[in-house]
Amino acid sequence: MAPTWTPESTVEERSDLDRPWVTIVWDDPVNLMTYVTFVLQELFGYDEPTATALMLEVHHEGRAIVSSGPRERMEHDTSRLHAYGLWATYQMDS
Amino acid sequence: MKPFRARGGRLVARLDRAEAGIVGLLLDQLEQLLAADATDVADDPVLGRLFPAGHRSDRDIAEDYRGLTEESLRSGKADDLAMVRATLPADGGEVRLDTDQAGAWLRTSNDLRLALGTRLDIGEDTEPPEEIVDEADHQLAVYYWLTAVQGSLVDALVAARAGRR
Repeated sequence: MAPTWTPESTVEERSDLDRPWVTIVWDDPVNLMTYVTFVLQELFGYDEPTATALMLEVHHEGRAIVSSGPRERMEHDTSRLHAYGLWATYQMDS
Repeated sequence: MKPFRARGGRLVARLDRAEAGIVGLLLDQLEQLLAADATDVADDPVLGRLFPAGHRSDRDIAEDYRGLTEESLRSGKADDLAMVRATLPADGGEVRLDTDQAGAWLRTSNDLRLALGTRLDIGEDTEPPEEIVDEADHQLAVYYWLTAVQGSLVDALVAARAGRR
């Protein structure tokens, strides 16, 4: 399906402030797979299959985006993950 | 050690005297580390792992993040540690935890493993020592023992959560 109208200028007009931020969990050799899955369920309310899929993505790909939203919320999510010892960072979505 | 089990809404394990003693010593070391000056984070790889940078490449953002969160992360870890100490039978015996206490054990045992794992340079391929001949073997054995304790606690919490549904 093709769009009937293409908004040409909206992309340029979006400032950095509008772009979503993401929280990323990185693979590390210490954290147990079961622990990472448990923490993702506990902090983000993910069901078991979703949390397991994210944990496996971290394990196999080296990283996974576990949440996205405004910068302040990603800061908060990162610190909640750090409280559990997961290796997390946040950044503007690329 | 008798691993953690979910029993009657509590998480229960048993440590013998030597094991409880080792946990006590590790808690002392972690407590000292957490009390260290904030500027040490950059120099000490263990502190660097316990308080990671919030951003991978942008130093300003990483500094912002540290300024906003490090104090509360530190006090949260110190509170967890105090709760573990309060529920650790100093001479060995039963460990009996409610959900909050189990959360503290989970996070603190993970911090202990992160600290040991960083010092011992644990990698994906590291394996438990076959025999204990030097201090490094001993530390590695402690690391794997802690892994078993924490692993059983995670499993018991997952079982308890399934039981509540």
